Amino acid sequence: MEILRVENLSKSFGGVHAVNDVSFSVEVGERLAVIGPNGAGKTTLFNLINGQLRPTAGRIYFCGQDITKMLTHQRAHAGQGRSFQLTSLFLDLTVFENALLALNGTKPSRYQVLRPITGYEDLMAKAEETLKAAALWEQKDELVKNISYGEQRRLEIALTTVLSDLRLLLLDEPSCGLTGAESADIIEMIRKLGRDITVLLVAHDMDLVFGVAERIMVLHYGEIIADGEPEEIQASPMVKEIYMGSEEDTGSARAS
Amino acid sequence: MSFAPYIIVGLILLIIPPFVHADIQLMLAKFLAFAVFAIGYNLVFGYLGLLSLGHGVYFGAGGYTVALLQYHLDIDSFWIAMPLAIVIAALLAAALGPIVLRSTGMYFLLLTFALGELFYSIAWHWPFMNVIGVGGEMGMRGITGIMYPDLNIPGLTLTSTSFYYFIFVGFVICYILLYRITNSPFGHALVGIRESEPRMQALGYNTWRYKYIAFIISAGFSGVGGAMFAWNNTIIDPSHFAVGTSFLPMVMSIIGGSKILFGPVIGALIVIFAEYFASITVRARWPLILGGIFVASVMFARAGIGVYLARLWEKVRVRYGNTKG
Ligand SMILES: Nc1ncnc2c1ncn2[C@@H]1O[C@H](COP(=O)(O)OP(=O)(O)OP(=O)(O)O)[C@@H](O)[C@H]1O
Ligand SMILES: [Mg+2]
Repeated sequence: MEILRVENLSKSFGGVHAVNDVSFSVEVGERLAVIGPNGAGKTTLFNLINGQLRPTAGRIYFCGQDITKMLTHQRAHAGQGRSFQLTSLFLDLTVFENALLALNGTKPSRYQVLRPITGYEDLMAKAEETLKAAALWEQKDELVKNISYGEQRRLEIALTTVLSDLRLLLLDEPSCGLTGAESADIIEMIRKLGRDITVLLVAHDMDLVFGVAERIMVLHYGEIIADGEPEEIQASPMVKEIYMGSEEDTGSARAS
Repeated sequence: MSFAPYIIVGLILLIIPPFVHADIQLMLAKFLAFAVFAIGYNLVFGYLGLLSLGHGVYFGAGGYTVALLQYHLDIDSFWIAMPLAIVIAALLAAALGPIVLRSTGMYFLLLTFALGELFYSIAWHWPFMNVIGVGGEMGMRGITGIMYPDLNIPGLTLTSTSFYYFIFVGFVICYILLYRITNSPFGHALVGIRESEPRMQALGYNTWRYKYIAFIISAGFSGVGGAMFAWNNTIIDPSHFAVGTSFLPMVMSIIGGSKILFGPVIGALIVIFAEYFASITVRARWPLILGGIFVASVMFARAGIGVYLARLWEKVRVRYGNTKG
């Protein structure tokens, strides 16, 4: 069953075609990695799927419904969860506060004006459960900017996956800047997700890409230049030349 | 936080007034009116993170509503005047919100500022909003001789002392309401929007709606403050719509601490007290003094004096081992 379909999607900024006539579809439960050099248009593609940006042309279908004109918060209610490239966290708020905001965004109680938030026992219990599962309960009263980078990334994944009725997870560089061990934690967390959740991720970290993805899409100057299973992509000379080649220069490519 | 500081401050504000000169009662009531204005303003400024320089519009709307009711319709019932002051301020915000809330940062500031000047100009030129006979030549505008409201309680006519207590009760109610609002899921969401609107949207919050509702609530409280002020001050004039008024709650919030609910109350206390003492000593130097207080508080108490007071209270509590406070 198809969960996401993108048809002839384009986005230009002035003269820059950040995403250029892109079409693809994603099946429920797939783990798809979008890779490509810096400036290839990966984040822009996510911004279009999640509604931060309006496409210049093309359509987006989510669960069979045309969502091209839908607002971001509506897409969250429809089941899209997303993390942002730099951080999806509120750095100046506490860990617990972050959990509350993440958990409450799709609950009816989110508009309650006069009842204290601490009075919502199910919300409090869920926040505790989520933080304990991510091994962050001890740090619940710390400001997020004061916990370690690895912990921040872990909290981020934990909180992007708590969206009620989550169906599509969009992760933009979830392990960026992490050490190998910390990155392994993230891979583990993503692997643990149920198959009812579809995962799209952008990553430069090849351990993450090959550790999670079953399908890889290569973006270059806003266009899809390859799309296939990890082995195919790894073997493709064109991809090697355009993408892996440049990665090898920086020494971070996976030895094949 | 414990309730002890609230009780102490509340008792001081309750006990002192009968023993002081009417001028000081007037000043205390003015402080409470501005405290309501400032905490209402701060919902948008400190919690939502939007710097408005146009809340004078709602403050003025509240003040003019009660004044015009008395002047044109002879209505001085509190039970009509106050709800109407709130409704008019809130309706204005509901109408102007879609214009100003499209922008953030500097543009929001400029738009709100411009609307304030527009209302200033309307209030200046529209005869309906000016007392007949006090002509433009003399430079006097607005409405004078505003009387205390009628509470419709048989045998009760407000005096300066009872009016003060009346305003005190109003302040307490407003404070409790805002305490509840800021601690609610709604209040928490406002802080999230201040920190990052795109992230809140991705989490499912309709941030536009939150901003709009917060703006209206904030204007409603500003209207309450304006009505309280008009009754106390007996005069309301076009300047109460304009930037000179609008920037006071901002200054109060910054001085007292915009991230905490009682911050603007501390700020209002400092500003109104300082203004009072300046007025009986070096009146012409008031703007300079206000500027000085502002700069000093920004330099030496960045987070706001209220935050340091809270920390001080914590220390006192720990020192004397009374963990219950
Ligand atoms: N808001 C914007 N305004 C103008 N140009 C933009 C904007 N966002 C992205 N671009 C441009 O679009 C192109 C694609 O950017 P994008 O951020 O999508 O790349 P990316 O693949 O995510 O890169 P990275 O790996 O560095 O994160 C770049 O040339 C970028 O400069
Ligand atoms: Mg990117």
